[in-house]
Amino acid sequence: MATQPEVNAAAASRALKAIEAIVGADAVFTSQEDRDAYSDRFPVDARAHRPAGAVAPLTTEQVQAIVRVAAENKVPLWPISRGKNLGYGTSAPVLAGSIVLDLSRMKKIEIDVENATVLLEPGVGFYDLYDYLQTRNIPLWLSVPGNSWGSVIGNALDRGLGYTPYGEHTRNLCGMEVVLPDGDIVRTGMGAMPNAPTWNLHKYGYGPAFDQLFVQSNYGIVTKAGMWLMPTPECVLGFDVEMDRMEDLGPLIDTLGPLRREGVLQQSPTIGNWFRAANILTTRKQWTDKPGSLSDDVIAAIRKQFGLGWWGVSLRVYGRESIAKPSLAILEAALKAINPMAMKPFSWHPGDAVTPSAGGWMGVPMTFPLQSANWFGGRGGHIGFSPVLPQSGKLALEQFQRTYARYKEYGMDYQASFAFGERHMLNVNAVLLNLDDPEFMKRVDPFLRTLIADAAKYGYGEYRAHIDYMDTISDGYSFNNHALRRLAEKVKDALDPAGIIAPGKSGIWPAAYRKGAA
Amino acid sequence: MSTRFAALALATAVLSGGALAQEPDGKVLFQRHCAMCHNASGMGTGLLGRRMKPEVAELEKREDLSAAYVERFARIGVLNMPPITRGEIDDSGLKAIALYLSRGRP
Repeated sequence: MATQPEVNAAAASRALKAIEAIVGADAVFTSQEDRDAYSDRFPVDARAHRPAGAVAPLTTEQVQAIVRVAAENKVPLWPISRGKNLGYGTSAPVLAGSIVLDLSRMKKIEIDVENATVLLEPGVGFYDLYDYLQTRNIPLWLSVPGNSWGSVIGNALDRGLGYTPYGEHTRNLCGMEVVLPDGDIVRTGMGAMPNAPTWNLHKYGYGPAFDQLFVQSNYGIVTKAGMWLMPTPECVLGFDVEMDRMEDLGPLIDTLGPLRREGVLQQSPTIGNWFRAANILTTRKQWTDKPGSLSDDVIAAIRKQFGLGWWGVSLRVYGRESIAKPSLAILEAALKAINPMAMKPFSWHPGDAVTPSAGGWMGVPMTFPLQSANWFGGRGGHIGFSPVLPQSGKLALEQFQRTYARYKEYGMDYQASFAFGERHMLNVNAVLLNLDDPEFMKRVDPFLRTLIADAAKYGYGEYRAHIDYMDTISDGYSFNNHALRRLAEKVKDALDPAGIIAPGKSGIWPAAYRKGAA
Repeated sequence: MSTRFAALALATAVLSGGALAQEPDGKVLFQRHCAMCHNASGMGTGLLGRRMKPEVAELEKREDLSAAYVERFARIGVLNMPPITRGEIDDSGLKAIALYLSRGRP
C-alpha cells in the first residue's frame, strides 16, 4: 500500500468515549502523553504510527464489548499483549489513528503441572510466569526470547524464538480462546468441546485446526492460549564454540544441520557473529570514533577483548544424563572435525546457580541484551531483517557475504545470527539505530529495503516484520499474482467486514482500506 | 535492606494516612513491573551504570530519587527506557513505586 488510508478521528473519539462505559474512564487513555507512550519506541518514522489512544480491558467480556463498539463506529483496534515488541513496532499500530487494545491487565495463569501445560491470558509476561513457577517450586521451564520483557502469548503469536528445545514458541501454542471481529467467542481445538480436559494437550481437535490462523494475523483477538512448558531436565550439558574465520560459517552450519535434523540436537542453536558481546557491554566510542562500518582492526580488537571467534554458537543437550552425555560426545566429535578456535564445556544440574549470560539456554528471562540500544551512547534501538534460509552452509555463506557487503556499503555495524529451526534457519540481521543522528537514520530505510530486495532475488523472505515493512515483506510472497495475500484478504473480509482488527497487520488490509489503494 | 524497608513502610504509612490497607504496595509493584530491567542484571541497571557509580545503579540502592522524578521519567521514557503506559501500571500503582524508590520523598 503506497499511502496509508486515514482513520476517521471523530469516529475514534466517539468509540473511545463509548468504551469508557465498558472499562471505566480510568482505563481509557487519550492524552498526548498516552499516545506517545503507545507509539513505536524504536521507530524508523515515529510519526507514521501514532494511535488515537488506548484502552485496557480486564476481561474477555470487556474485549467482546469493545470489539462491538469498534465495529459500530468502524474504528480499527490494534491489539497488543504487553506492547514490548521492540524492533517490530513496540505497541504502535500499522495504521495511525487506530485505538490500541492493551491486554496487559489480563494476567490470569492456570497451570497444569502434571501435563506440563499452562493456560495464559495475554498480559502474562515471561517474568510473571517465571516468578509464578519459581515461587511455587513447579518443575517446569519456559523458553524465553532475548528480550523477555514481553508477553508469553504475544511472543508466540508473533512467532518469537528462544534457545531451548521449546525455542520455536509458536509451536508451543495448544488451544486458544479468540474474540472474533463480530464479538463472538470461539475456542479452538479440543476447547470447542465443553469441559474437554484436553484443550491444551491436543493441538488439532477435529476437522480444520485454526490456531495458526490467529498467528501473525488480524482475524481475531486471542484472549487465552494454552502453552506447553518443558519439564525441568535432569541436566543441561553443552559447549560454547568459537570459530575463527568468517568462512567457517559454512562448515559450522553443515555440521550442525544434520545433527539438528536427526534430533541429537533438540534445541535451536543460534550462530552469532563477533559483535554480540561488545554491543551489550560497551559503546561504540570505546572502540572507534570513525564513521562507517567497524573496520577489521576494530573487529580484531573486539574479538580479542571478549575471546570470540568471527562466529560463535552455544550448543546444549537437555534431559536425562544417560542420554545427554552420549549426545554430547557425538557433538564434540563432530565439532572437533571442523577445528573450532575454542570449545568451552558447559554443565548444569538442578541446584546449580544460573548466571545471567547462561540463562537464555535455561529459560531464565533476561533484558540485558537490550543494552545494545545504547551502542551509539545515546538514544538507540534496533530493527531487524530476518530472511528464512535452508540449512545449507554454502547458501548461508553466500547470503552472509552479500549482506555483509551491504552493511559496509551503508556504513552499518554488522550484527547477525543464524538461528536453526528443525529444517530451516532464520538469518536475523540486526540494525542498531542511532536515534540522535538524523543523517544515520536517513540511511536505515533504504538499507533495509535493499536487504529485502537482495534476499528476494534468491527466494528468501522474512518470517516477521516491523510495522513499517509488513506490506513490503508481504509483496515478496507473490506466487500466482499474490494468491496467498488474496486468500488472506478473502478470509479477512469474511471474518471482519468492518475491517476493525489490526488493518495492515502482516500486509493484510480489509476491503474498506484496500479501495483506492495505490 | 530490611531496615530501609521498615523505614520506607513507615514513611509510606505516614504519607498514605489511614488508607494503607487499600494502598498498592510499592515494593511488590516494583518487583512486578520494574525489576526485570532495574535488578542487578537488568538492562536499566547496566545502562545507568555507565552514567553513575555502578554500585548505585540499581534503583533500589539510589538515595537521590524523588517520587515526582520517578513518575515523570517512567511515563515519558528517558534515553533507552521506553515509556511505561498507564495500561501496564495505573497512576496509583506508579505513585506507590515512586514513593518506594524515593523512600517517601514526594
